[in-house]
Amino acid sequence: MKLRRTLAFSRRALLQFRHDRRTFAFILVMPLLMILIFGYTFGGDVKDIAIEVVVNDTGIPAGISPVLPNGLFLAQKITDHFNTDTFFIHTNTNSVNAQHIVHEGKAWSAIIFPANFTENFLTTITTQDMSLSPKIEIYIDGSNPTIAATVIKEITQSVQLTLKGLESLNISQIETPISIEQVYTYGGGDTRFIDYFAPGVICFAIMMVTTMITIILFVNERRNGTLQRLLASPASESEIVVGYALAFAVIGVIQSIVVLIAAILLFDISIVGNIFLALIVILLLAFGHQGLGILLSAGAKNELQAIQFVPLILFPSILLAGLFWPIESIPSYLQPLSYIIPLRYGIDAERSIMLRGWGIGEIWIDIVVLVLFALLTLSASVLLLKRKN
Amino acid sequence: MTFAQTSDTLTKIVEIQHLTKRFGKFTAVDTLDLTINKGEIYGLLGPNGSGKTTIIKMLCGLLRPNAGTIKILGQSFPCKSIMNQVGYMPQDTAIYLDNTVHENLLFFGGIYGMTKENLEKKEQEMLEFVNLQNWRDSLVSTLSGGMRHRLSLACALIHEPNLVFLDEPTIGVDPELRATFWGYFESLVKKGITVIITTHYMDEADHCSRVGLLRQGCLIADGRPCVLKKNAGVGSLEDVFLLLAGRKKS
Repeated sequence: MKLRRTLAFSRRALLQFRHDRRTFAFILVMPLLMILIFGYTFGGDVKDIAIEVVVNDTGIPAGISPVLPNGLFLAQKITDHFNTDTFFIHTNTNSVNAQHIVHEGKAWSAIIFPANFTENFLTTITTQDMSLSPKIEIYIDGSNPTIAATVIKEITQSVQLTLKGLESLNISQIETPISIEQVYTYGGGDTRFIDYFAPGVICFAIMMVTTMITIILFVNERRNGTLQRLLASPASESEIVVGYALAFAVIGVIQSIVVLIAAILLFDISIVGNIFLALIVILLLAFGHQGLGILLSAGAKNELQAIQFVPLILFPSILLAGLFWPIESIPSYLQPLSYIIPLRYGIDAERSIMLRGWGIGEIWIDIVVLVLFALLTLSASVLLLKRKN
Repeated sequence: MTFAQTSDTLTKIVEIQHLTKRFGKFTAVDTLDLTINKGEIYGLLGPNGSGKTTIIKMLCGLLRPNAGTIKILGQSFPCKSIMNQVGYMPQDTAIYLDNTVHENLLFFGGIYGMTKENLEKKEQEMLEFVNLQNWRDSLVSTLSGGMRHRLSLACALIHEPNLVFLDEPTIGVDPELRATFWGYFESLVKKGITVIITTHYMDEADHCSRVGLLRQGCLIADGRPCVLKKNAGVGSLEDVFLLLAGRKKS
């Protein structure tokens, strides 16, 4: 091996970047951007979980019981220990309404303290009869196992802290002076991470494949001159865009079916809802990202520049769309950004269909956003082709 | 100085008036007036950067002129509806390398609205015309450069256009294939098809029924090659060009 000849290769490769400053900037800025984005978004605790708290407990006023001469409002004491960073608490006076809010997906959990909560507690510690121990009723949306686990953990910790503050009552020998009853609105409490993860991965795969293939395909169409040839034919710009969109929609559906079958056979994932509705959501997501791919392709002259769009699409989607961790765990100042990421709506719709069994009536907002996204990007693609024309 | 050979009795296929195209401060085509008649092989000749491709792109609707008008087959341009009657072979081969010869022909025929039966018939005819019968099911990426050029021509002709724009079809093509190509073009004219071709090979112009010599976006001569040579008193179109370019410069 001749050193001089070897170095000639190195020199040529490095000189190339002098003429492609965009790629050079990409090489320098990208790792920096990655560490910043991951540092700020990854691994954070789940925060601002929307919960409904219903306190029907009337407590025991002071002077009523010799055991509790100063009185006790146990439910209040427990809710006072709730971490307000973790929970975004809405106080509700109606248990049925609180459960309905959870059912509609507007809150993750309804925590209900029954009317005789403190009274039952007093009876339990005086009689040592565990069958009378007060129950905190938790109605919980189990479709997101991370959030469900955080809710349970937070309530358990708050109960333990409250009981610790009542050590003077000598309750340490009572096994469970307060019990927690969990009712799962969705997910049945056995939702595994893979169940939660699979709908997101399907959407993510469709998004990445559709966008990247479209970018590369249109960069090649431009470079090879075939696009000019098409534009000089009777074919209209909208025929070209819609034609390709349909092709990628077919690819998207095939891809989704393959991923779904693999997830069902290998990981036994649960699908509660309508699989065809799930496929329609995927189609909409594919259409929108196909349009995005055409738009981005206008900014790339070759495959190397096209690849530089990968992190641009990849990182916001991974970090801000609720793919791996709940949006609630992203710093609150970054959370509004998730609203402008179409993948968020795709993932939300797919999870709602597959884990909650929801239909169009419940996920219509996601569908509308995805339809608008597809219309916007595909129309902009047609205009872009006309402008280039 | 132009040697125009125009006749109102001939069918005008392309009518260009005061056509101008600027890219920023650079004028690529400068107030061009030109009429091309049915059944002609019209050659746009000139060195690189003389405006040949820009003219072809405006005639195909790929570039919008800054000024002037274009009429193609009697219709004001740009007009998508007449593109069914127009064939275009760009400078790059502009065919799909990851598809077969058959798939490319099928696709280009399809976008020109050809029926399946008609397409099958024309495909066979085109494959024979460009001598690619044995490569029908081969991937284009496996074909030689010359074969790709021939396929590109077949894709431009499969829908039986009345007018064909060929942008530098013989660039980078070996002499044998160039001769074959001119044979193709002459056979097209015999079928009544009008061919507009750009080239910077002056020696090829003798195949044209009429040529327009371009220099810096201006048409410096227009007429039959033999007439141009005779009037300039020189033996080749290259000399005609050099003579006229010299005069223009002075």
